Amino acid sequence: MNANIPVLFRSYQSQETHSGCKIWEAARATSALPTFFKHIEIGNKQPYIDGGLGCNNPSELLIKEAKVVFPNHQIGCLVSIGTGQAEVISIRTPGFFQQIVPTGVIDALKAISTDCEATHEKLSLLFKNSPNIYFRINVEQGIQGIKLSEWEKMANVEAHTMQYLKREEVGVKLSLVINTIKSPKAQLMIEQFGMKKFVM
Amino acid sequence: MLGRLRMGIDTAIDAYNSLTQQVFSDQKRWPGDGRFKATKLEEVIKSVVQDITGDPEELLLEVGDTSVCRM
Repeated sequence: MNANIPVLFRSYQSQETHSGCKIWEAARATSALPTFFKHIEIGNKQPYIDGGLGCNNPSELLIKEAKVVFPNHQIGCLVSIGTGQAEVISIRTPGFFQQIVPTGVIDALKAISTDCEATHEKLSLLFKNSPNIYFRINVEQGIQGIKLSEWEKMANVEAHTMQYLKREEVGVKLSLVINTIKSPKAQLMIEQFGMKKFVM
Repeated sequence: MLGRLRMGIDTAIDAYNSLTQQVFSDQKRWPGDGRFKATKLEEVIKSVVQDITGDPEELLLEVGDTSVCRM
């Protein structure tokens, strides 16, 4: 249950694939946000909690994994989609029962949004000299106050997302994403990404 | 939903809306270890998996051609 060591649930074969893991178990483990749901145990009684605790923006992890799975390949396009969260999803005013959650967990949750943007900044730097490969799409304004559990506010999420998509610069970015995916021009070998810069 | 179950985008949005409504409209009376019922979440996820694959216990690991989408 060490939130600092992310576990990847893979749908493909690799040395670390959890071979007996079921789809529902993986979905359940990645939803096990503390204060929302109990953790889940998979396989040899290993407890899992949601990766949002330590690894909410998995872009760096993805590049690391791609290096192993696709050696000697080039990166054509990397699209990172945010959830529009500029603050903690749920823990704003802890109720009585949530107060039993260790403050360390709450501090970790508060750090998530900063962590996401920090990862984005790092990747932007990494791709600085290779334009039009890395794209970040994130509804920056409007849906940050909506909690994960507020299913009845889905219409608000949709409205803010449509508004974001209508923005001039977002439209330009999306056209670029589509063109890049359709005909990738990348000349960057995946090995060229200096992973030493990454603090995993 | 999109990657492993290969659901279409509209189908996935509908399934997600239905899932969140079922799971989050049902708070636990005594929320000791989480405010919402993990058993309810499991039940709803399994029903989505069953609808798409026919087996609620379908494995995450895909056999055959996985080059289309790995996740």
